[in-house]
Amino acid sequence: MPPLTRRGPGLDRRLLLKLAAAAAAVSTTRCSPPDDEIIPYVDMPEGMVAGEPMRFATTLSLSGYGRGFIAIAVDGRPIKIEGNPRHPYSLGATDVFAEAEILSLYDPGRSSVVHHGEQIATWEDFAAGWEQAVGARPDDAASDAAVGLVTGRVVSPTTLGRIEALRRRFPALRQYRYEPVNDDMARAGAKLAFGRLVAAAPRWDEADVVLTLDADPLGHGPEQLHIARGFAARRGAEHRQQLHAVEPAWTLTGAAADFRLPLAPRQMGEVARAVARRLGLDLGDPVLSDPQRAFAERAAEALATAQGRALAMAGDGQPPELHALCHWINGRLHAPVDYLPPVDPVEAGHADELQALAEDLRAGRVAALVIVDANPVYDAPDALRMAEAVAAAPFSAHLGLYPDETAQHCQWRLPLSHPLESWGDARAADGTASLVQPLIRRLYDTRTCDEFLALLALSAVRDAYGLTRETWASWAGGDFATWWRTALHDGVIADSRAAPLALSPARPTGLPPPDAPHALTVVLSPDPGVWDGRFAANPWLQECPHPLTKQVWGNAVRLAPGDAARAGIADEDTVDLVVNGATLSGPAVVTEAQADGVVAVGWGQGRFSPAMPIAHGVGTRFVGLGARPFSRLLAGAEIKKSDRSIPFRSTQSHTRLSGRSEALFQLATLAELATSRPEREPAPPSMLGIPPRGDYAWAMVIDTDACIGCNACVVACQAENNVPIVGPEEISQGRDMHWLRVDVYARPQGGAMRTGFQPVPCMHCELAPCEPVCPVEASVHDHEGLNVQVYNRCIGTRFCEANCPYKVRRFNWFAYADGQAYGDFAPALKAQHNPDVSARGRGVMEKCNYCLQRISRARRAAEKEDRQVAEGEMVTACQAACPTRAIHFGDLNSETSDVSRLRRAPRHYRLLEELNTRPRTTYLKRLYVSDAAS
Amino acid sequence: MAVTYLVWQSPYATNQLLTRDQPVPFSHAHHVGDLGIDCRMCHTGVEKAAFAGVPSTHICMTCHSQLWTNAAMLAPVRKSYATGQPIRWRRVNRVPDYVFFDHSIHIAKGVGCSTCHGPVQNMALMRAQEPLTMGWCLQCHRHPERYVRPKDRVFDMAWQPPPDQRSEGARLVKAYRIDAARLTDCSTCHR
Repeated sequence: MPPLTRRGPGLDRRLLLKLAAAAAAVSTTRCSPPDDEIIPYVDMPEGMVAGEPMRFATTLSLSGYGRGFIAIAVDGRPIKIEGNPRHPYSLGATDVFAEAEILSLYDPGRSSVVHHGEQIATWEDFAAGWEQAVGARPDDAASDAAVGLVTGRVVSPTTLGRIEALRRRFPALRQYRYEPVNDDMARAGAKLAFGRLVAAAPRWDEADVVLTLDADPLGHGPEQLHIARGFAARRGAEHRQQLHAVEPAWTLTGAAADFRLPLAPRQMGEVARAVARRLGLDLGDPVLSDPQRAFAERAAEALATAQGRALAMAGDGQPPELHALCHWINGRLHAPVDYLPPVDPVEAGHADELQALAEDLRAGRVAALVIVDANPVYDAPDALRMAEAVAAAPFSAHLGLYPDETAQHCQWRLPLSHPLESWGDARAADGTASLVQPLIRRLYDTRTCDEFLALLALSAVRDAYGLTRETWASWAGGDFATWWRTALHDGVIADSRAAPLALSPARPTGLPPPDAPHALTVVLSPDPGVWDGRFAANPWLQECPHPLTKQVWGNAVRLAPGDAARAGIADEDTVDLVVNGATLSGPAVVTEAQADGVVAVGWGQGRFSPAMPIAHGVGTRFVGLGARPFSRLLAGAEIKKSDRSIPFRSTQSHTRLSGRSEALFQLATLAELATSRPEREPAPPSMLGIPPRGDYAWAMVIDTDACIGCNACVVACQAENNVPIVGPEEISQGRDMHWLRVDVYARPQGGAMRTGFQPVPCMHCELAPCEPVCPVEASVHDHEGLNVQVYNRCIGTRFCEANCPYKVRRFNWFAYADGQAYGDFAPALKAQHNPDVSARGRGVMEKCNYCLQRISRARRAAEKEDRQVAEGEMVTACQAACPTRAIHFGDLNSETSDVSRLRRAPRHYRLLEELNTRPRTTYLKRLYVSDAAS
Repeated sequence: MAVTYLVWQSPYATNQLLTRDQPVPFSHAHHVGDLGIDCRMCHTGVEKAAFAGVPSTHICMTCHSQLWTNAAMLAPVRKSYATGQPIRWRRVNRVPDYVFFDHSIHIAKGVGCSTCHGPVQNMALMRAQEPLTMGWCLQCHRHPERYVRPKDRVFDMAWQPPPDQRSEGARLVKAYRIDAARLTDCSTCHR
């Protein structure tokens, strides 16, 4: 046996310590803090307090429609978007896209200078080039050489006025207006039913029964905030709305439904046929199997017995005839639907317009092509060969936020101002107008759409502020200064919503028989993260998990289990999708309860502009499939296992929980709820001491019945708490950093698929398992019940993470916040950071802290006024974002607080209660109308 | 180890008592000591915000457009006002980035300026009077009764603790509802 102690010369413990001490002492010679500067204003703006947040109402657009928000700026830097409760359409919540706009503002990949070909140029150069181009070809109505203006959906009064001004200068101006995510089918359906264009605006909160046919009203889009709030008003046990959803593949609406039927898209009309028959319109016998027929008849019965409080709606992929029939059904039901004059003044269809653009360009009918904030080269199907067509234009200019695919094929690449640097205006989908106001001076020499159009038209007024005021001066009448200040302050222009039209009831229309069954039908829908592709360069949205598949940094091919088995494809295999001879590949996700014969894919990925490093090459461009633009359905597809390998990156692995999901994601039917008794406070003994309670006992209750899985909370948390992005490679290693994740559950129960979303922030356990294992007491409790992480103490042992049963702790394996490829790759990005929150360094554990900075701010504000923090005064970032108000936060010390009341509710439960962690974050069960199979 | 700790705590590392040169040789001794100008005249954010605020050039010029209008020493101020370029002051008191200090709540709870900043009225150029280490902060966060003073004396530079500070302080801590237990929570200052 060798001796346990080593003898002879060498380093013994004492010497080592001495040397270490000496080394440390020597190292302190460079330890004093570096010189720092304080640079005050020369003249501080009135009402400003250095370092304090200021809030301004503004408007952000999605697919042309405005949504009203409050933007928060600190020391002149916008850092966060919040909801604006004064805006009657957005109703004080945010969505993922709005939250992520703050990152887009500072995105170093934005277009920042004028380019002529590969040369850097100036706006004066462009103006000269433009005058030469249009001057050399004098615009003559008789001549077929003309100015072509490509835009997205334009509903901004100022921009519409600018287009009119441009038309006055160029009478032969041809505007091509298209939006990839559009309502072509709904518009055609309204025309069939009413003989004119109208927009149906359901009063969702007044409906007792809703039937959706391949529609996703709760899904992402410019109307989501409004619909989700109406939906939430009718969730819970009392006055609950019955939601019947028929859909080919899972959507957020289907996941929230009480009754859901997976059905091939071509058969949607058959359900409507059954409903029409129940309401007295015989359109023939619906072609449905027995269970499908039973579903349709139950829905029809529910609708028919809820006269005046029931509505049906069809989706954007369904033919106009079905939309028209839904209008007839709604008329017959006296459904709570307003019919509004369309906000978009252009009559032509979006797909037709894009097709016309390609044809006109190819025929040489466009002499000077101007593209404003649109990306036809990416959006158009390959069949249109749009890149070639754009490149053939004698003069072409592209104004956009990014050097995108279209910009690459234009002679002039012009930088567009971000909405947070712009003056302007917009209308919501119901016509509510609001102003866009800048929070920061332009970061680069950019122009807004209005300024650009004014430049083209040689208008007298050229600045966006002047142009916007010019538009509204006539509307406001009288005291414009007061009117303007009120409109800016409130973030909405009073009484600007369109008045509902009094229409005669919709005509009954026929319904063509369903198509013959196809082998496979591709169902396309916009991506819930990057939308139609316009947010593909935003890493927050790329890394925001898909609500249903939890995929990040990519898009998948979702297959029904039967189809996958027939083709020999397993989950996460790469699959080749062949449509009309074109082959596209993507990772497969095999999804239970997806209609047989349906392949679901998302738009928006597969951006191929080499000048967009974040977006380039992520995912597959499925929008290129099909002969017509923006086809939502493509028949006659084939799938086969691919030779290629495309990784499926996700933040939640598909796990079969073998019975445990009943405890984790709890369900109750209304009948069960009525008989269940409120649970008592559990108090099993514990060896850990319970931390003493202070003035407040913060707690959160999350209503899984109200949650629609929209992810707004996830991105809101990221923006508020300086949560870094890790990038696709790190995600593949299982290293995401989101403090708040949304778990998705789907389990068969009673013959139906029970689904739902469960946002999981830190549980703030009163007996927190993470605390006793930390060797340096970096994980500790405070007197208000928060389990806090002290970054400056943390040495990164990760014991806490291992011991956390909820897996909510996140570790900085690298310096994600600083210096990592997808982290902080430009100084501009640092400006986005919330100065109230530490940026965590490498080797440090972090997690949700209930927005400690907001608690601290609320407490300090209250203490300065010598009072308690009032109920509702402290709002976490996730809670503020939530469009369905599913997240409740407050003080348990008050018996009357919202959270105390909810914790006494019969559907209240704790996650992993058997561990006796006594979490402060708790849940309300997901409810179902009945346990009938769908 | 002890040596290391002592070095880290010493003024050598903390910059305690270090008087810094400034672009304008602004004298608190003159403005506060001789003229008796209140702190809040220039540090406008001190009662409202975390950051006390270093005055804008405009504030300097409210007086100096009338007084000492040609003084050579004030040339940088006039230049700043004329060109719109701010004066770049050198920071004197500094806490690390992971410490979120709020002036306004200390003022509201009866912590006087001189408790942390020392006899500013005697300093020609500004120096950091205290080390601003966590141990130093904790002296008060553990025993606020030793330092708290009546709210109406917060801006009184000459205030000295009375002989009965222990009992008087304890009374004030109660009256101002200072929760001493909470003051040592990590989350009070770190987040």
